[in-house]
Amino acid sequence: MADLTNRRWYTGMLTQEDWWAVWLGVGFFFLGLLNLAGIDIVGFLTYPTKWVFNVPEGGKGAIGHAFYAIGKKTSMVSKEFYKGMGWWSIIWTYVAFTIATCTGAAFMRWNLKRFFIGWTIIYFMTIATWFIGHHGFIAANKINMHKYGLNFALSLGGGGSFILALIVGLIIGNFFKPFAIYLSEAAKPEWYIKTAIVTLGVKLGYLPIKLAGFSHKLGKEAAGLTFDLFIAGAAATIVAYMIFWPITYLIARKMFNLPRKTAAVLGSGISICGVSAAVATGGAVRAKPVVSIMVSALVVVWAVIELVVLPGFFTHVWPKTADPIVAGAAMGMSVKTDGADAAAGELLDEFMRNKIAVESNGTVIWPEGIITASAVMTKVWIDMFIGIWAFVLAMVWVYRIDRRPGETVLASEIWHRFPKFVLGYFFCWFFLLAIYFGPGQGGSADAMPYLKTVKAGAVPIEGPMRKLFFMLTFMSLGIITDFKKLKEAQFGKMVWVYFVALFIFIIPIAMIVAYLFHHGMQIPNIAGYVQ
Amino acid sequence: MAEEEKKEMSGTGTLTGAALEAEDVLADAEPWEPIETKLVVWSLVVAVIALLIGLVVVPTSILH
Repeated sequence: MADLTNRRWYTGMLTQEDWWAVWLGVGFFFLGLLNLAGIDIVGFLTYPTKWVFNVPEGGKGAIGHAFYAIGKKTSMVSKEFYKGMGWWSIIWTYVAFTIATCTGAAFMRWNLKRFFIGWTIIYFMTIATWFIGHHGFIAANKINMHKYGLNFALSLGGGGSFILALIVGLIIGNFFKPFAIYLSEAAKPEWYIKTAIVTLGVKLGYLPIKLAGFSHKLGKEAAGLTFDLFIAGAAATIVAYMIFWPITYLIARKMFNLPRKTAAVLGSGISICGVSAAVATGGAVRAKPVVSIMVSALVVVWAVIELVVLPGFFTHVWPKTADPIVAGAAMGMSVKTDGADAAAGELLDEFMRNKIAVESNGTVIWPEGIITASAVMTKVWIDMFIGIWAFVLAMVWVYRIDRRPGETVLASEIWHRFPKFVLGYFFCWFFLLAIYFGPGQGGSADAMPYLKTVKAGAVPIEGPMRKLFFMLTFMSLGIITDFKKLKEAQFGKMVWVYFVALFIFIIPIAMIVAYLFHHGMQIPNIAGYVQ
Repeated sequence: MAEEEKKEMSGTGTLTGAALEAEDVLADAEPWEPIETKLVVWSLVVAVIALLIGLVVVPTSILH
């Protein structure tokens, strides 16, 4: 690793996706906080709502209101301005994020022209699928479908849009390959999801503020719940990972007779966090670059399969709505790649919230985002663990397996392998918690006007921006997923190692470990406050 | 794909749909060595220790 010694702790701050996810997420978060100074410049962010072609008398869902600027509902200072924006908010959002993402692309030295065109196409395709996915037939449920004049609805909530975006992306990625290759410069699911995860930190920090708006007690409950997730997620992750890796390594070496380095990279790719782990371990054990790339491609394809299967499985088979946090945590440990995991968590969140609302006939309503947060929390811990594990493997390989005389492994390698977007996630979360417990006085009645101003800045980021970046992730994930690659690259054994490890060991173990640490965790019921 | 480009990609962690070259990285498995046994066993030992400590310390575990 001699060539890495010139790196400084700040290396990559302007050239890596990880850091640009932080700049985008934290940058817009601070733009939102300008509300505290009486300036609302994030209220234009566009958001969809359920719509139908024919609105029943006295019902909801006019197509003209299918997209609106979020400031119409949240802004304290410019509500009237944002009210008039309607569908134009799509263009405002496009302009803002085009400037932000193109700046990032330029610093990361991507082909700016191709990125701009690709981004534009992906953005508007995403908006189109977001719109279609919010048709009442797809998004409404038994409780509210009559307001839209419907007698039947699929009850998919916002999850329908995610699935649709993934399907559209997969169609492009598998049937319109030249177009997919053209879009690939802007189809960056890892970047989009890391940005979404940073904004999920805003969501997590905002939860107590939101629930304090309902009642002081609920706000405290939410703050406690996020801390519990943080601690339980850490314990579950270390336990699960230290079981996953050796088992996968054993399967690859003993059952499938793979070489050591390939087995080590596969072990990390399958058991931890797909792409980043495969790349980090590949570097640590000095596997050929093609191994990391092959494992990464495999991880992406399997992650998409998990993304389609697991949210439905956890919602309808086990643990169902009895233990939604267990389901979320198990998701975080089972689905590899940040993108697919956070996306699957979001889908699970939508499915579970719709299911509990239907099952309880509307008497139980869970705030959105907590199940997603439980899925992301375990993932975030796993991401942080990658650097440490890559460091351990590098030491084992350098000093024991390859026995390279005179070579040393620098401790700074842990920092360089550290997923930097996690810093943005924690920063936003703790910043808002500090506001809640500090000037927000833990949600006391006196501080509510102040917290409402914070809310006006936080909601556009944790709602519209986060959801948009999730949608972009689903679309991009589909675009870069080429199922034919499994065949072409003659993965053979690798596919089977993945299959055996994932379905026979990793998912069941993830479910058991998630149960041991998260069983019984309750999501606050806000039905009495939102109806 | 050029070797340089592949190295660049492997260093970024970026998901990419770029073309793959099927190199023979699946053959010629080395014999199992004692250090591998140690690596596997110690990982599992750490897992068990972390599980026991976690169950006791984490307030949301099933022991509480």
